[in-house]
Amino acid sequence: MRYETVIGLEVHIGLSTNSKVFCSCSAESYGAEPNVHVCPACCGMPGMLPVVNRRMVDFGMKAGMMLNCHINRVTTFDKKSYYYPDLPASYQTTQWFAPIAVNGFMEIETSSGKKRVRIKQIHMEEDAGKLVHDIREDTTHIDFNRSSVPLIEIVSQPDLSSAEEVEAYLDRLNILLRFAKVSECEMAHGTMRCDVNLSVRPEGSDKLGVRTEMKNMNSIEAIKRAIEYETARHIDAIENGAEVLIQETRRWDDLTGKSYAMRDKETAGDYRYFPDPNVMPVVIDDAWYNSVKDSLPEFPEVKKKRYIDELGLSDYDADQLVRSIALCECFESAYSVCSSAKDAVNWMTSEVMSELNARDMTYDMLSLNGEALGRLILLVSDGEVGRANGRKILSAMFDDGNIDPKTYAEQNDMIVSHDTDLIEQTVRTIVASNQKAVADYKNGKEKALMSLFGQCMRELKGNCDPQTLKTILTEYIASL
Amino acid sequence: MYMDRETLRKLELLNQLRLTEEQKHGVLRFFEERAADEALLDAVDTAEVKPMVHVMPIMTVVREDIVSQPFSREDLQREAPETDEGYWCVPRVVE
Repeated sequence: MRYETVIGLEVHIGLSTNSKVFCSCSAESYGAEPNVHVCPACCGMPGMLPVVNRRMVDFGMKAGMMLNCHINRVTTFDKKSYYYPDLPASYQTTQWFAPIAVNGFMEIETSSGKKRVRIKQIHMEEDAGKLVHDIREDTTHIDFNRSSVPLIEIVSQPDLSSAEEVEAYLDRLNILLRFAKVSECEMAHGTMRCDVNLSVRPEGSDKLGVRTEMKNMNSIEAIKRAIEYETARHIDAIENGAEVLIQETRRWDDLTGKSYAMRDKETAGDYRYFPDPNVMPVVIDDAWYNSVKDSLPEFPEVKKKRYIDELGLSDYDADQLVRSIALCECFESAYSVCSSAKDAVNWMTSEVMSELNARDMTYDMLSLNGEALGRLILLVSDGEVGRANGRKILSAMFDDGNIDPKTYAEQNDMIVSHDTDLIEQTVRTIVASNQKAVADYKNGKEKALMSLFGQCMRELKGNCDPQTLKTILTEYIASL
Repeated sequence: MYMDRETLRKLELLNQLRLTEEQKHGVLRFFEERAADEALLDAVDTAEVKPMVHVMPIMTVVREDIVSQPFSREDLQREAPETDEGYWCVPRVVE
């Protein structure tokens, strides 16, 4: 019998706010000393009242709009009860009855073609604290820096059917949310976490099988492996009766490549959801709604089409840029100054990306001044600065965002010299001390000329128009 | 509202309660009476009434996304039974 896998995803996204959901503590929890971003509110101390962070609502709305959702203009918060030391109030403030966004969709593309995945809802909630179990054997240590950091949870309908589709979904979600600057979406930093709800049924059946939820996958590759393992486990259980499938939450162990039962799957009743009396309804009026709508970015595919149709970029180059809104913004600023889309994209996809890689930075971490980059591109294309020195200036601009490329070039002796007397003098000196290379070139070895050219250029510190140097060099050797 | 012995057993477990047989009987009777009260509401035609999201016609205030840190770790951990290297400590929980 042939089977099909039915997958729905619950993706938690850490929002890029400065402060927490309900208090003004810093939301930066990654890598900080334990419990330095805490206050009585996010430590769940009695009597503390929450005050909603406006930007969290902005981001919830933005995410909903990017995913074609209906935005609930009256959205409410609810208490979700569970008792565990990482949640000091014994409940999580989340959204159950009227989440910020519902009924959306997202298009994905795989080797099988395009597919529309329905989004059930997006709700805003607070994160829990972090438990550390390996400092001492007899205790669990608690760090509340992460407690009450704002999240959205994006719940899909069970419209996915393979690891490839899940990867495409997460990839697309990642790009859209980073484009909207809602989140950095870094799995390694915990700002993108994915739970997989999976069941298996005979192909063509409209009845869903027993569903299990898997947690603890820390990379796309781990998610793909977990889906493949869990699908095989379900089929084995159905066909061979290897075990009885039950609705449960399972923990993925990437080291052993297996999932393990964690707990019975909770139902909504177990959490005893009820409206949080401490947080009044959030009412989004037209002005607020429209201000968020107006701040939405151009969608990646729209931007790509514009780059190709209006600026003449290749499909490949446009694709490279729309991986990140930071790359797009830098490119567009640079282009607005240098007026050559071809030069601007060449600098972006070669020099800028190389510099990012060398510094182990993601594309979204790019904070280069695009207008300054445009001025640098003009300096190089106008022959005022050599390409090699241009790269050095770019590197300096990464270190210091205030650098003006021309001023830097002048201060560091990088302006191309048009003094032909100096070039001729340099050529004579280099030729005089490299007679063998001169003889080799005259005997037909082209490489020897390149060697002489390179030495002259080094002597001139790269501040020379290459064509002028080559002409003077070849003419001088011919005259000998 | 619906309450039977199975639902009550589950609520006892969730809330870590131990009810006597007499208490259980009282709870079941209480919910039965409330259900009868609620049934009276069925007589009201609410077809055109928009569901309300809150009992009060008020909305929350929101704050700007600005960081401040008026409390120190030392302030907050002063009354803690046990701390270690800046962490709060609790008896070990098994995951």
